[in-house]
Amino acid sequence: MTAPEGQIFDLGYQNYDGPREGRMRARKALFVNGVRTSFGIGRGTLSKILPILFFTAVLAPAVILALVAATIDQFGVSPSPEIPGPADYYQIVSVILFLFSAIIAPELLCSDRRNGVLSLYLVRPLTSTDYVVGRWLAFFVVSLVFIYAGQIVLHIGLILGAPEPLEYLKGNWLDIPRFLAAGVVIALITTTIPLAVASFTNRRAYASAFVIGLFILSSAVGEILIECPDQHEGPGFQQGPCEPLTRDFAKYAGLSAVGRVPIHVSDMIFDKDNESKLSVEVAKLNDSIPILWYVLLTAVPGIILWQRYRRIAS
Amino acid sequence: MQRRFVVYTFCMASLLQAQNLTKAYGETLALNSVNFSVEKGVTGLLGPNGAGKSTAIKLFLGLLTPTNGSAEVMGEKPYETIEIRSRLGYMPEHDCLPTAVTASEFLTHMAQVSGLPPVFARTRAADILRHVGLDEERYRSIGEYSTGMKQRVKLAQALVHDPVIVLLDEPTAGLDPAGREEMLALVRRTGQDFGISIMLSTHLMGDVESTCDRIIVLEGGSVVESGDVSGFTQETETVFIDVDDHLEELIAALKSKGLQPTMDGVSVAIPDAGDAEYDLIRDALVEAGSRLRRLGPRRHRLTEIFNNDSS
Repeated sequence: MTAPEGQIFDLGYQNYDGPREGRMRARKALFVNGVRTSFGIGRGTLSKILPILFFTAVLAPAVILALVAATIDQFGVSPSPEIPGPADYYQIVSVILFLFSAIIAPELLCSDRRNGVLSLYLVRPLTSTDYVVGRWLAFFVVSLVFIYAGQIVLHIGLILGAPEPLEYLKGNWLDIPRFLAAGVVIALITTTIPLAVASFTNRRAYASAFVIGLFILSSAVGEILIECPDQHEGPGFQQGPCEPLTRDFAKYAGLSAVGRVPIHVSDMIFDKDNESKLSVEVAKLNDSIPILWYVLLTAVPGIILWQRYRRIAS
Repeated sequence: MQRRFVVYTFCMASLLQAQNLTKAYGETLALNSVNFSVEKGVTGLLGPNGAGKSTAIKLFLGLLTPTNGSAEVMGEKPYETIEIRSRLGYMPEHDCLPTAVTASEFLTHMAQVSGLPPVFARTRAADILRHVGLDEERYRSIGEYSTGMKQRVKLAQALVHDPVIVLLDEPTAGLDPAGREEMLALVRRTGQDFGISIMLSTHLMGDVESTCDRIIVLEGGSVVESGDVSGFTQETETVFIDVDDHLEELIAALKSKGLQPTMDGVSVAIPDAGDAEYDLIRDALVEAGSRLRRLGPRRHRLTEIFNNDSS
């Protein structure tokens, strides 16, 4: 019996004669790569740790709230306490979402410029606008996944925890389009601001520090302006404790906290009063003002981001 | 579009065409009404720093728009028709590789960004990495690669979508002599075995001499020379003689036979040497008793192009 024989042939270089899908394929590839980069897929273990931690942090409140909703009746507490709903969930996780976007989003732009990969993208069938839109859209979708995952878990918990799940669903079905719309509102701003900041530096750490600083400082300024009004009336500084601001200024001061702005709009979508001091002040304004401010805070960084890459490409 | 490129490749000789190509940055003229064409094969774009090589490459890649004239790639202007870039390859001089991903992952992605569907992109990435000698290391992070290996990945990403022509910007920059030779061999293989045309931008004449069929010399934003490399390196009628000893006796013997020997470095040069002069040189060597190390016609070197221009 003879052993089977085989031969290995080196066919040499083979020209590619398969399909070429042009610019649309290039855009899709950029988008998919952006999503994979955000989740650390195709990279080392370290790159996956942060997204997993943030995803866990975003999901945890939803799981806890869902468990509470499902088991509260078994403890026989009377009267039944109000379980935080979808609007409250966004308020709870907004800080985590801003942190996530501040830390992860700059990676999509900074590393491409730092490593020089951007120069390879721009000589392929892509424009600078294709590049920016692809990266922006990738992180926007990732943000929505983070935002909606918790809401879906919470809704399932609330529905299953209700004595009459179907009745609960009929009575609260509006929450579903509301949480979808509010999620888009939050994701738009948490995507655009960090990416716009990232377009000015090659260092992800600098961009992250700036965005986190912006959210913390603007929030602190907002709180201070509401707690300590302008006390410069008359000669010199007025001594003594701060008095609550009573003029119109306080209402506008509430808008200075950048991180809270999408939550104000979210509260409007859910038609829900928020008890935080900043929200109480902002709620005194005409609805169009916080919305206009939100649009400005999203559109202006978006335009800056687009223009930055048009300039870099040329 | 694809069909158009294929038809063009077979019908037209010029892959790149510069017509009255002018690019000004404010008051500075980087390229001044330049005319040249790049055909199938390996073409060297040679010139000192500031000659306009990088500007020319950026114009052909569509990254810049000409101030005047046109830069065409296979009959299309890349700054107007973006799809043409899917048939161009580019290997920049500077770093352009991510460090955290594997070569396989990176090349698959770049193939897709050039328009290849994912399944084909993966196959092409594996094939090209094998051709550039990185088959075994393709699942290692690029950050762990040596400089030579990174240069190979840079070349691989330029070839992964099987371009019609690839523009290489200083491909041997930063490499040690052995790495440089390997890279030049790979460039030669790309041009000869892969059938991919190349425009090689460099300021190293040795790179051009060992790889290119044709040459375009830029200086101060203008084309100062162009033509086949063999035309610039052809044999001259000057004969060079290197001997180990009795140099003075040899010179005297050459003069006694009516020749006009001159010293060029350590060699004796005899201008306008024909068959008769070779016989006289032989006789003079015997007469002087010199031990011959080398005797042969001198070849022009590309360095002389610049020497001639400056003189």
